[in-house]
Amino acid sequence: MVGVRGWRKAAVVVAFLGPSLICLLAFSIGPMVGTLWTSLQEWNLIRPSRFIGLGNYRELWHDEDFRRALRNTVYYLVGYLPLVTVGGLGLALLVNQKVRGVALFRALYFLPVVTSWVVVSLLWKWLLNPNSGVVNWLLAKVGIEGIGWWTSREWAMPSVIIASAWKDVGFVMVILLAGLQSIPESLYEAALLDGAGPWQKLRRVTIPLLTPSLFFVAVISLINGFQVFDQVWVMTEGGPAGSSTVVVEQIVKNTFTYGRAGYASAQSVVLFVIILAVTAFQLRLQKRWVFYASS
Amino acid sequence: MHTRTRAIAALASTLMTGGAVGASAASASAEDVSISYFTFSAAPDHLEDLDAIVEAFEAENLTITIEVQTAAYDDYFTSLQTQIAGGSAPDTFELNYENFVTYARSGALLDIGEYVADPDRYYALALEGFSDDRVQYGLPMTFSDVVLIYNKDLFDAAGLDYPTADWTWEDEQAAAEALTDAETGVFGDFQPISFFEFYKALQQAGGTFFDEDGQAMFNSAEGLAAAEWLTSKPGTVMPTLADIGGTPDFDTSLFQSGQLAMWHNGIWQFTGLNESGVNYDIVVEPGSVQSANAVFMNGAVVSEATDHPAEAAAWISFLAGSETTVDTRLASSWELPAVNDDAAFASYLEITPPENRQAVFDALDNIALPPVIERQQEMQDAVTQALESIVADGTDPQEALDNAVDEVNGLI
Amino acid sequence: MRRPDAAVEAPSVADVPYRAFTPERRDPTTTARRLKLFAHYSVMVVCAAALVGPFLWMVLASLKTDADIRTLPPSVVPNPITGENYSRVVDAFPFWRFARNSLVVSVVSTVLQLVTATTAAYAFARIEFKGRGVVFGFYLATMMIPLQVIIVPLFIEMRNLHLVDSFAGLILPTIVSSFGTFLMRQAFSALPRELDEAAFIDGAGHFRVFARVLLPLVGPALATFAVFAFMSTWNSFIWPLVITQASDHHVTLPAGLSRLNGRFSTDWNVVMAGSVMTIIPILAFYLVTQRWVIRSVAFTGLKS
Repeated sequence: MVGVRGWRKAAVVVAFLGPSLICLLAFSIGPMVGTLWTSLQEWNLIRPSRFIGLGNYRELWHDEDFRRALRNTVYYLVGYLPLVTVGGLGLALLVNQKVRGVALFRALYFLPVVTSWVVVSLLWKWLLNPNSGVVNWLLAKVGIEGIGWWTSREWAMPSVIIASAWKDVGFVMVILLAGLQSIPESLYEAALLDGAGPWQKLRRVTIPLLTPSLFFVAVISLINGFQVFDQVWVMTEGGPAGSSTVVVEQIVKNTFTYGRAGYASAQSVVLFVIILAVTAFQLRLQKRWVFYASS
Repeated sequence: MHTRTRAIAALASTLMTGGAVGASAASASAEDVSISYFTFSAAPDHLEDLDAIVEAFEAENLTITIEVQTAAYDDYFTSLQTQIAGGSAPDTFELNYENFVTYARSGALLDIGEYVADPDRYYALALEGFSDDRVQYGLPMTFSDVVLIYNKDLFDAAGLDYPTADWTWEDEQAAAEALTDAETGVFGDFQPISFFEFYKALQQAGGTFFDEDGQAMFNSAEGLAAAEWLTSKPGTVMPTLADIGGTPDFDTSLFQSGQLAMWHNGIWQFTGLNESGVNYDIVVEPGSVQSANAVFMNGAVVSEATDHPAEAAAWISFLAGSETTVDTRLASSWELPAVNDDAAFASYLEITPPENRQAVFDALDNIALPPVIERQQEMQDAVTQALESIVADGTDPQEALDNAVDEVNGLI
Repeated sequence: MRRPDAAVEAPSVADVPYRAFTPERRDPTTTARRLKLFAHYSVMVVCAAALVGPFLWMVLASLKTDADIRTLPPSVVPNPITGENYSRVVDAFPFWRFARNSLVVSVVSTVLQLVTATTAAYAFARIEFKGRGVVFGFYLATMMIPLQVIIVPLFIEMRNLHLVDSFAGLILPTIVSSFGTFLMRQAFSALPRELDEAAFIDGAGHFRVFARVLLPLVGPALATFAVFAFMSTWNSFIWPLVITQASDHHVTLPAGLSRLNGRFSTDWNVVMAGSVMTIIPILAFYLVTQRWVIRSVAFTGLKS
């Protein structure tokens, strides 16, 4: 039975959650429902739409380009996630010391995050130039030759992965740094009294207490990674010959270049379902490995 | 600024007619109409030129104000389509020839046939280019064509004769090979691997893109010849993708720094070339079986949903065909107005370099218009990707073309 | 507070230099310690060199003349050095008006995002209510549809609300950040419940627990979120482009800078100058928040 406490709690929930939830419904969920409706239409944006039921989904089922885009997106995630997490953790540990000038280094590591993809892709295309780039020059010294990087089918996606990990490592660093800074000193002192060395401190104190932040990084990176777009658009344009196409690139091309907004909406719905499933799975797993001090 | 012009004009006319100032002012504000115009060709270099045209129009039409909206070409269509989808289309906007058909057939454009006072003012082919099914939906504003731009110093140094209008592909190939020098980093030729070069090369080889029934037939022997002509260049006389290295506008930089002998590009490059000081001239592109030259056109259209059709049409008529527009465009090299006025172009021909500006107009004798269907962009991408896979993957050209033909026929 | 398992080792001589290297007990006179410090700095400098490249390239490119930016192969150092590109950017479009619009939108949006995210996160982390998981799922779900897909239905909605070409139209869709809500929820969840309980016993209500007890302890996460909120709003391009197209009154800086891109060729030196100018406010904001974090962390002492 809902007593006074029940109503009071409801009031509190409404007060804290209300404004946020209303805006969410109005400006995020609403348009998402609009997208779902559009996925059942044929629409080029400039003429009235035409209802075609599940026609877009049926076509999507046989779309080889979309399947390739999905494969490339998963490939991207498998390469990008470990790189960016380990790199970000390393940098965060590096700058979580009270040495002089550490604020400057934190700012420098954050620079790639704020630099636009236009500039970053120019740099990486230059570094990864098969003929004259620094990377291939170094590889040749150790006897590895012939990697075409962004000019070849096989290596276009790895080029995007490397450039993306490099750019985002500062982003992960900032998040993990915040997590590191929230670990109470008293725990380190206690570990020290027990005779722990730096490696033990990392394994027994730092990492466990960092798991909420690591979980956050994993979920966010996965959700964002599935929607990778800017770097592919700017670096390879999905090429050469469509070998580095990803899902959101297909969606944007279909919406604004090919005039197939309905089909693109169907692609978005499918992408949404996939991300939702993966994230739900991650959320269930969190009980296994994430340690919350409040529980 | 506009208000002041209007006020001065109002005052001047009042003094001349001796009428009451109050009466003129009252009528000016009662029926004020605002017409929006969205364009991609004004930013970044010609905003002032457009302002001059707007001012001249507003001075002649005191009750109309023009609100200019600009965006870069790459972002233009995203914004335009969203505006139209949301029901807030601009009253008038700019479209290029390839995209025009889609908008016309989707019912987004107003039939302006009744408002075109002087059809002979415009170049006949251009006017037809902005009509669909004999309905006039827009007015041609500008045209530009693609020519062969060559570096005179490099030809002199190699002791070769300059290209002439009679050259064929073989002549171009021979010169390109003679002029390419890997050691000094000089390339003999540059022709982009894209749909836009392909349909033109196809016509130069004597082929056609669509047959009489509207089915794609560019995988013919002529199509093969064109594809091989284009794809044989990278790595021999032309930089490869890796050479380009992702540097944007690489071919422009290459030519402007004097390291490219021949360049297939458009007349819009002249201003930049003149500023760079490179010693160049132009000639009509070499053909094979016949001559064919790519011509591009931009036009102004009126939205179907506009509240002020008469005023909107008056604006685009002024924008496309008035003396002010023609003079402004020619004076600042802001594309060529698509008007039937040889006398006006006399001043254009006198600006040098390049010496051989006449080639710009000679190219119009043999035009290759882009093939256009409703699903235009998908067709363009299919053809470009087929050509790219020949270069990047070594796909058999005939196979690549056959696949592209199947894809394009699926789009019609 | 649960104590994590610690390996129990008998202290030995070998442990002394490691133990002494903890930040609060450094003895700078030992060579071993100096070497460690040197190694630490070296690693940091190498990482910085690896990460700072493109920004340097951007700045150098922004100082090149038109002829210089087109030389092949590209030169590293500008010759001659010119600052004219910066004034060209300012003259190319109403730069200061667009910058002011960007600032207004970013600041207002960041503040509103902080408010909605922290309050919602408190509800998710600290209040047990039915359907909490589902509602949180909705928040996460909104991150799973790409923005490019949303803008058409969102624009139609804004048109119906008559908010096209207005600050409200620019800001409202950005107020709720699922990213921020999630981040703050994680931050709150990491704080022990004993703090809440102690405050409740003292007679505090939810709001006081939120504002006085928990919020001060999540400084680092709050600062991180503020930086991301500011950065993403400041840099956001496609939505502002579309919602402000009708006039130049509310256009923001990224949309203005995009007008520097030509159709056939672009003056990259000018574009780079514009990019450098755009990055400065974000970096400044980041540095300010970092200093605030360092100070606040020292103040709260991180002692539980």
